[in-house]
Amino acid sequence: MILCLMIAFVWAYSHLGLRGEDLHPSSGGLKVLGEFAARALTPALTSEADFVPEGTRPLLYIALSSARTTLFFAAAGMSLGLFLGIVLGFFSSTSWWAGDFGGVRRSSPSRILGRVLFPVLYGGSRVIINLMRSTHEVLWAVLFLTAFGLSNTAAVLAIAIPYGGTLAKIFSEMVDETTREPAHALRGAGASGLQTYSFALVPQALPDMIGYSFYRFECALRSSAILGFFGFPTLGLFIRQSFSSLNYGEVWTFLYVLLGMVLIFDWWSGAVRRRLAP
Amino acid sequence: MRRQEDKGRSQEVQLLLAERPRNRFVRGSLYLLLALIMVSWTFGDLQVDELFSTHRLRNLNRFLSEVRPFPLHGKEWDWGVALSWAQEIFKREGLEATLSTLGISVVAILLAGFFGSLMALPAARNLACSEPFLPEIRPPPLRARVFYALLAPVTRFALILLRAIPEYIWAFILLAVMGPSAWPAIVALAIHNTGILGRLQAETVENVNPNPLSALRGLGGKRSQLAAVGLLPLLLPRGLLYLFYRWETCVREATVLGMLGFSSLGFWITDARARLQYDRFLFFVLLGAAVVLIGDFISAFLRRIVRKA
Repeated sequence: MILCLMIAFVWAYSHLGLRGEDLHPSSGGLKVLGEFAARALTPALTSEADFVPEGTRPLLYIALSSARTTLFFAAAGMSLGLFLGIVLGFFSSTSWWAGDFGGVRRSSPSRILGRVLFPVLYGGSRVIINLMRSTHEVLWAVLFLTAFGLSNTAAVLAIAIPYGGTLAKIFSEMVDETTREPAHALRGAGASGLQTYSFALVPQALPDMIGYSFYRFECALRSSAILGFFGFPTLGLFIRQSFSSLNYGEVWTFLYVLLGMVLIFDWWSGAVRRRLAP
Repeated sequence: MRRQEDKGRSQEVQLLLAERPRNRFVRGSLYLLLALIMVSWTFGDLQVDELFSTHRLRNLNRFLSEVRPFPLHGKEWDWGVALSWAQEIFKREGLEATLSTLGISVVAILLAGFFGSLMALPAARNLACSEPFLPEIRPPPLRARVFYALLAPVTRFALILLRAIPEYIWAFILLAVMGPSAWPAIVALAIHNTGILGRLQAETVENVNPNPLSALRGLGGKRSQLAAVGLLPLLLPRGLLYLFYRWETCVREATVLGMLGFSSLGFWITDARARLQYDRFLFFVLLGAAVVLIGDFISAFLRRIVRKA
């Protein structure tokens, strides 16, 4: 295994035509790095542009309002993603219809339902999940940008689709890994599939599901900031603008705002997961 | 009699309900998150209906008409023509882009695995203390005590910083510093994943069974010897699992990082979009999806092998 990994490394290295000396930045690159790093401790508090048009908002206002947009896009995208994840997660989990549940005495229409419909639904939702997940949120965003033009809803959808797919996959795996006894008990008492799922299977997996959702929220925040690089009014937009106008102090201001938000969420999701751990 | 029994049972249920595990912090967090979501939908300037206004739909219509492969514009759909068109692009640019996407992800994840494992050692609290795996007999000198009290928290904080900044921003900054080659993408991916793998590995080190390591330490092994002889074999399977799991994400990100101008799939996606060749644009997006699916499949396959071994 280790040998295979080494071979893969050597192949990839030679295929990309990488050279060690390219890793050293050129003198121009070093200058950029030096100027950029020099501003790390002195982020800009006011705009650094030589010419500031009349009526421009102060820098800190821009930083905070773009942070707000970043947060809102992440929250809205995440809420849609959670909805998709819960619905698709239900269909792509097997534990409420497969296996020993076939043995319960049923009338023939529902037996056909169990034999044919549920596996088809399961396969279908698996395919949908994988299609949603296989395209990165940035690519979804670019796709929507090209199809619809710039729109805030496009950013939210771009986050919601891949996150919904991932949440559905993880949720269904978490539910399928729980013990089945409570489900059998409810099933024996005559509960339907949806009832069994939501009252016997999900409650056991719920702490994991909540913890994972918090973690994904943190990821959504990062994705939402990145979407700014493609023109949405989140932090990435202003990072890109300031960096290309060589206003490195401003870049650091935006980076610190982003870093602060991510660190707060990192702590928050960690705290929630610690308390949910058995 | 029956009614009394029912009453007793309902009291039991009430008791169970009252004693169910609850946590005020988690509950508050959930409410806060819910409030945040509601606020974001009301004040987030999200006009969903605006997405279906006439000029947006006109955009969509134009996009949909131009997304047909070029040789088929304004003609009947013909699979043969479409496939040969796709094949030609794949031969010309697609294959090369696919391979370099995979190459970038492989180099990046292996570098991240190496540095992540290295950084995991000082980040693990049971190894980075003055007397690992053994009870302290006499208090260590002050300098050692201060050093080891700071080592794990500082390393952990460094790991958090590495992973808090998204790959894309790392790559964006590194591109200006290093100039155009595949290195900025690789280093950016490696930095972010070092942060993640380092933390995961540190947790594995902290959860490791201490007995063999105590024995080694008792025989006078140094920390580096403990890590090489005692920890490495214990950590390898789990480390590989994490490595392959993160590799999936690396493939995804490597596709996207090309948009900054490296020769991966993302480069051709932006290129096609800038030339308004929407047919090629969609082709490369779909190719990217296919590459990710293949990556997921390979990763799942390798993880199954590791789990069985």
